[in-house]
Amino acid sequence: MSDIAIEVDDVWKSFRVYQERTHSLKERFLGRSNKYEEFWALKGVSFEVPTGSTLGIVGPNGSGKSTALKVLARILTPNRGQVRVRGSIASLLELGTGFHPDLTGRENVYLASAVLGRTEKETAAIYDSIVDFAGVEQFMELPVKNYSSGMYARLAFAVSISVEPDVLLLDEVLAVGDEEFQMKCFDRIGHFRDTGRTIVLVSHSLDTIRTMCRDAIWIERGELKAYGPSDEVVAGYLGDVHLGPGSAHPAGAPRWGTGGVAVTEVRFLDADGRASTTLHGGRPATIELDYELHAPIDDVVFGIAIHRADNGVLVHGQNTTNVPLERPLPRSGTMRLAIEDLPLLKGPYQLTVAAHDSSGTTTYDWHEREHGFQVMDSGRTLGQSGLAYLPGQWSVEPVRSPGLSMA
Amino acid sequence: MPEGSEVLATAPDIPRTTRVRTTRAERLRDLRAARELLRQLVGRDLRIQHRGTVLGNLWSLITPVLTVAVYTFVFTVIMPSSPVHAGVDVPFAIYLFTGLTVWNLLQNAVLSGTGSVVGAGYLLSKVYFRREILPLTSVLSALVTFCWELGVALVAVTVFVGLPDWRVVWLPLVVVVVVLLAFGLSLILSTAAVFFRDVQHFIGIALQIGFWGSPVIYSLALLDNRPTLHRLMEFNPMTGVLDSVRNVLLAHEDPEWALLGYGAAVGVVLVLVGLMVYRRNERLFAEMI
Repeated sequence: MSDIAIEVDDVWKSFRVYQERTHSLKERFLGRSNKYEEFWALKGVSFEVPTGSTLGIVGPNGSGKSTALKVLARILTPNRGQVRVRGSIASLLELGTGFHPDLTGRENVYLASAVLGRTEKETAAIYDSIVDFAGVEQFMELPVKNYSSGMYARLAFAVSISVEPDVLLLDEVLAVGDEEFQMKCFDRIGHFRDTGRTIVLVSHSLDTIRTMCRDAIWIERGELKAYGPSDEVVAGYLGDVHLGPGSAHPAGAPRWGTGGVAVTEVRFLDADGRASTTLHGGRPATIELDYELHAPIDDVVFGIAIHRADNGVLVHGQNTTNVPLERPLPRSGTMRLAIEDLPLLKGPYQLTVAAHDSSGTTTYDWHEREHGFQVMDSGRTLGQSGLAYLPGQWSVEPVRSPGLSMA
Repeated sequence: MPEGSEVLATAPDIPRTTRVRTTRAERLRDLRAARELLRQLVGRDLRIQHRGTVLGNLWSLITPVLTVAVYTFVFTVIMPSSPVHAGVDVPFAIYLFTGLTVWNLLQNAVLSGTGSVVGAGYLLSKVYFRREILPLTSVLSALVTFCWELGVALVAVTVFVGLPDWRVVWLPLVVVVVVLLAFGLSLILSTAAVFFRDVQHFIGIALQIGFWGSPVIYSLALLDNRPTLHRLMEFNPMTGVLDSVRNVLLAHEDPEWALLGYGAAVGVVLVLVGLMVYRRNERLFAEMI
């Protein structure tokens, strides 16, 4: 058994982007279908994945992540270069590939299993465990078109995740569904990893990449930008994303952005509503951001992050993504975050403020830990230690007589 | 890492075939997986066909039986047609039905085969499998339907003409020729349909022309005194097939070996050309659909 499971050597892949997709003979022969641009989704990408390791692929939308995965899965053929995968491959790019609505649950399990490369005999051997996992035993003889979307997803998931390949290629579509689902998914991926299988995972969730994957590659505009331990690659990627397109400031700059929205002033207000950089733990506090729109921008998310100045710990972060703001936003105004009882303990803090679009790809204005403030103890926080103030109540209750509970 | 800009300059305009090295074990595994998937896909096609109907698979039997009944009624009551002389006198309805059964095999296989790749976009873009199984699924599904019709045809022949003699053993050979023709055409047409959706419209008309250009509803003997047309007809690979089926089932004669051999040769060439065309283009399927 070789210790390299996947070799990708100088892989190039292009797509033809037709300005007007034509499928008709007339247009073809009139020569009108030649309007296309060659789009290089992968430009000379090379990497290796050792057997039994887990590789994450990160990168912005349209960077070539999914193309890379599909090339590994042999769904797409590269224009140039070599891909070598040792052992059996299963690619899970969506839930329930091959499911047919008119077929029963049972028939679909066998069909989707064959799509994943399993023989009927092999499927029969694990059929019960699949049904068990999905928890839809009583519906297996019904057409899946009559399933609720939840049942459908559970069965599709159970089939997908029942594969036992040497190399597993996962797209994040598997991570949709409720939390219980995701936990099952992660459990199962953990099982794959522990049994020495090789996994390649594409995900937007950098936390998933960091926790699930040993190594990561970062693909941007078809090129490999970084390849190494997932922590480092993710950190590098994060730093880059924050810089955002259109921001000319070098890395490490405290302030950057396109300037489409400018945060002009940041104020801290204490419990009495007075501007002050000294706040009190367990007491009301307010953070105010004055902003100006320099362009008619409607897609703005304001955010803050609070770091400890002494040890750099990220204490808190939040933004206005799910907050109903007045639309259209006034050309200039003040964003105000009122905090009922400031849940911070005594210490030096730094505030980061940001205005960016909802996808996080365009940063209008970003002040990285630009605004310092102090938190002092108040009567309520006195005696607590750490970072956070917990407004809890201690009490004592006598143990009940055992005679009562035995009744 | 090679220097990006330099390599970009030499990057080919026309996609080159990539070198994907595969070992014998991997090819065997692929083949085994393909066989399983093929089986499941054919099973799916057959199950879906009659899903939701009260009579279910009985329809595979009822349809040809009713067809025979209708033909018999039309050609004996409404427009009485003289029996066709093929060694013995054969009622026209039976003569027609035997030919139609074989023609339907070709027609059903090619019709569904042509759309088989375009219709499988959801699979093509999500998993790898031997792509050839898509048109093959269509051909095999049509073959199963054909077997039902053939069964009905055999019963009808026995009742109205008489029990076929030992020459019925040649029947599978005839069917193999049709399958070759259908598979070859499906490979070429399904590939073409990916690039030109027109093909799917065109094929309906082409099959209709093929139907009238083949001795399905008439016998080749009809053209005996028109040598040019007769000769022309012999270029149609289905002519030998249809003649042979009638020879074997109705006239108790050997197949038209020369014509059938010609049909088989055309079939083999179509399959070889089809596989070439298909394999050359299959790597584009996932991105074109």
